[in-house]
Parts: sequence; C-alpha cells; structure tokens
Amino acid sequence: MKSIVLVILLMFSYKSFSEDAAKFFISKSIKTTIFSEAPLENIEATSRTGVAILNTETREIQFNIPIRSFDFAKKKMQEHFNENYMESDKHPNARFKGKINQAIDLSVSGNYNVSVTGDLEVHGVKQKRTISGSIKVAPGSVAISSKFDVRCADHNISIPRLVFRNIAETIRVTVSGSFTPYNPTQS
Amino acid sequence: MKKYLLTALIAVSSPSFSQETDSLMRSLSADSSQTPVIATFKSSRLILSQTTTMVRKGDLDFKVVHRFGDIAGSEGGSETFWGLDNSSDIYLNLEYGISDRINVAFGRSKFEQLLDLQLKYALLQQATGGSPVAISLAGKAGFTPYEVTTRVFDDFGNRFSYLTQAIISRKFSSNFSLQTAPTLLFRNVVASGGDEETLFALGVAGRYKFSKRFGIVADYYHVFSSYRDDNPNIDYSSPLGLGVEIETGGHVFTLIFVNSKAIVENNFIPNTTSSWADGQYRFGFTISRMFTLGKSKSKPTNQY
Repeated sequence: MKSIVLVILLMFSYKSFSEDAAKFFISKSIKTTIFSEAPLENIEATSRTGVAILNTETREIQFNIPIRSFDFAKKKMQEHFNENYMESDKHPNARFKGKINQAIDLSVSGNYNVSVTGDLEVHGVKQKRTISGSIKVAPGSVAISSKFDVRCADHNISIPRLVFRNIAETIRVTVSGSFTPYNPTQS
Repeated sequence: MKKYLLTALIAVSSPSFSQETDSLMRSLSADSSQTPVIATFKSSRLILSQTTTMVRKGDLDFKVVHRFGDIAGSEGGSETFWGLDNSSDIYLNLEYGISDRINVAFGRSKFEQLLDLQLKYALLQQATGGSPVAISLAGKAGFTPYEVTTRVFDDFGNRFSYLTQAIISRKFSSNFSLQTAPTLLFRNVVASGGDEETLFALGVAGRYKFSKRFGIVADYYHVFSSYRDDNPNIDYSSPLGLGVEIETGGHVFTLIFVNSKAIVENNFIPNTTSSWADGQYRFGFTISRMFTLGKSKSKPTNQY
C-alpha cells in the first residue's frame, strides 16, 4: 500500500514538474545562413525553418535544420547543394546537440556571452565542437545568435577537383532565432 | 512483485532530461508535408528524349547538340575520320523557365532546317510521401521554312508538324532514374502514300549514376507504324542511343553514340533509316549551360 502511494506521489510530482512552462524554450523559425567566398562566385543560402529547443534547467540546447530548407538565389546551385554535396535524401537534417558551458541562470534577464559544447552533425558526420555565441534573455523570450565555421572535409563533403575553384572549403554559418516558452497543451 | 512494479514505474516516469529534450525535438520537427524529389535527371534532355526535369523560373538553358556522320558502313571509316568530318545534325536550343512548372523552348536544327517552338508543363512532381512518379506534358510545333523540291512541301502549311507527349519519370534511387514518353506526332502532309500522318511512338530512357557527377544514359524510341514495319523499299530503324553524362557545376555534357541522324523528335520519329547493324551509328554530344537571369547573384554580405 505504501508503495502505491509512493508511485502516485512520484507520478504526480513528475507531472507537475513537466508542466513547468518555463522549462523548455522552443523556436521553429531559426534562421541559418551559410556563406562561402570563392574566386568565381560567392555562395549564400538561408534557411528559416530550423527547429531549436533550449532546456533552461539543464542548459541543453538542440538544433535541427532541414537541409532542403536552404534557399539559394541560383536554383541549379541549390540542386547541386542537395544532390551532390549534402546528399539531403540520405541526410535530411543538420543537427546540433550541446550544453551551455557557463552556469548562467536563464531565468534572469540579460545578455550573456556563452560557449556551447556538443555534437555538430552535418552530412551524417558528427563532430565534437565548442561554439561561441550570445544569449539574450528577456521576460518570456530568449534570443540566440552565433557564427562559426564548418570545414567541408570534417564532414566528408567532397569537392571534386573539377569545380573546386567555385566552392570554398570552409563555410561560414550564422545562426539566429528567438525562442518562446513551450506550452505542451498548445501544440 | 510490487517492488518490481515500483522500480519500473519510476524508470518510466522520470526519463533523463536529455531524452525529454530529444523526444520534444522529434515531435517538433516531425515533418508531415511531402518532400519533392529533385534532380531526377541532370538536364531537360538525355540523348533522344526530353526529361521531366524542368528549367527553373528565370533560368535559361542553352543547349548545343551535335551529331556527326556514320562511324562505320559505306559513309564511315577512315575516309571520313569515322564520321567526324560530317555532321548529320546540329541543334541549337534555348529553354526558359517562365515558372518552375512552365518552360518555353525554341530550337533550330540543321536537319531539314527545322524550327521548333515548345511548351512544357510539369503536371505532377514525384514526392516522398506523395506521387510515385513525375509527369510533364510537352507540345511542340515544328516548321521547315524552306521549300523542298518534292512539290508536296511547297505550300507553307504543308511543312508543319506537331508533337505532343506525356513524359512519366521515376527516380528509383539517388542513382537510378527511368522514364517513358508516349508520344503523338502529327504531320500536315507526308511525302509518300501509305505513310501515316499521325504517328504514335513510345520513348524509354534511363540514367544510372556511377558517381555524383558521372552516369550512363540510354535512350530508345519505338515508332508504331505499319508503313515503316512493312516497307519493302526503305529500311526504317528504331532510334537507340547510349552514352555518358558528366556534370561540372553549371554545365552538363552528354557524350553519346546513336543511330538516328536527327536530333529533334519531329525529325527522328518519322525519318530514322540508319541502323546500328549497318554501321550507321554516330558520335554525338550535348552541352547544356544554365544561365540565371532576372535575379541578382547572391551578393557578398558584411554581416559577419
């Protein structure tokens, strides 16, 4: 009997815990820009439909960016990006799973310069990375921004010698977005 | 027993934070929408066939297509440098994307000096979680501007031909794509009695990629025509081509061998008399260059 009470109590406590509205902050409109400067032409593309979650208690942060959502001015380039470089049919998403290194209190408003350590998965290849960025906490919202470089070779993205002059070997990535509190009953 | 139950319940009811974040991510990024299949073919043209692949909005595809002379047979051999001295057909084509789904193309052939104007419409797109095939519809009007001495083609109106086809393709894997194209060709006037003014033909074409930018292509048309099958004087053949396809950034090159002399359907469907068996096959190539019009190039930004 005692144990049943204990079970009920445990379940109850877990329930109320997960309903804590401010625990997760989410965004479904993360803006990610990739940019590379190459001798013949610069390459630039933007995705605006990345998904991200920030766990304010554990300071975990996760990103999921659909490769197909990157929009290029040149559609042929976009096709090559998906078909020849990123192989988005096999690896549809770029992901980052990490944790904020600084012990900041994400319930307190302010601007924080932080670094995040975790796995960056691009083209199906995971790399342990520490990436710096900034977090702006305001009542009811959190905004993040970061820029970092991704080396194509680190993620087995091969650039054929025939076209290498067109494509830089390092891609500059900028990520930004604002998060709102996650309310499970609304979604 | 109760204790086991308790342990199990605790295990279920308190997942680690990481798992919780993971499952939330899964539910948030679950994509219910269909994803269109892209790059079924690298170009809107293979060897004989047009593909379901469209020129995107604002893009202009410039194609140079060349067919040399017979490699072997009576017109081939070292005397003609295995056909390279001759050109059986040369075709220049401009194809423009009015929208992602509507393309207009204009071309000019050496063969019969044929001018052609075409509209192509992407009716259906292959999509994961959606349609298993892509369908494009093409309609082409062909006109030979110069009178020929056969008298029947003297009249302006007699030198028109019209092609309509449905191209049905499927990308089976990232390496393998196949398509078929039921085709109707209508010619206003035909030269000899018994020849059908309306010809039905079926095209079958495929591509297998060995690497991301290199593949083999094969292309075949069968013409359903009793006039051609039973003709005692002229040996008609079915056009068949084999070759390789190479993509280098903005260009697609096709290097092929084919028996038909002509490049455009309006010519090769009714008029292929050269045969692989008689050495009447030729080398040919296609160069496709894509230009982006109407949109500014991605400009360098200083936001970093």
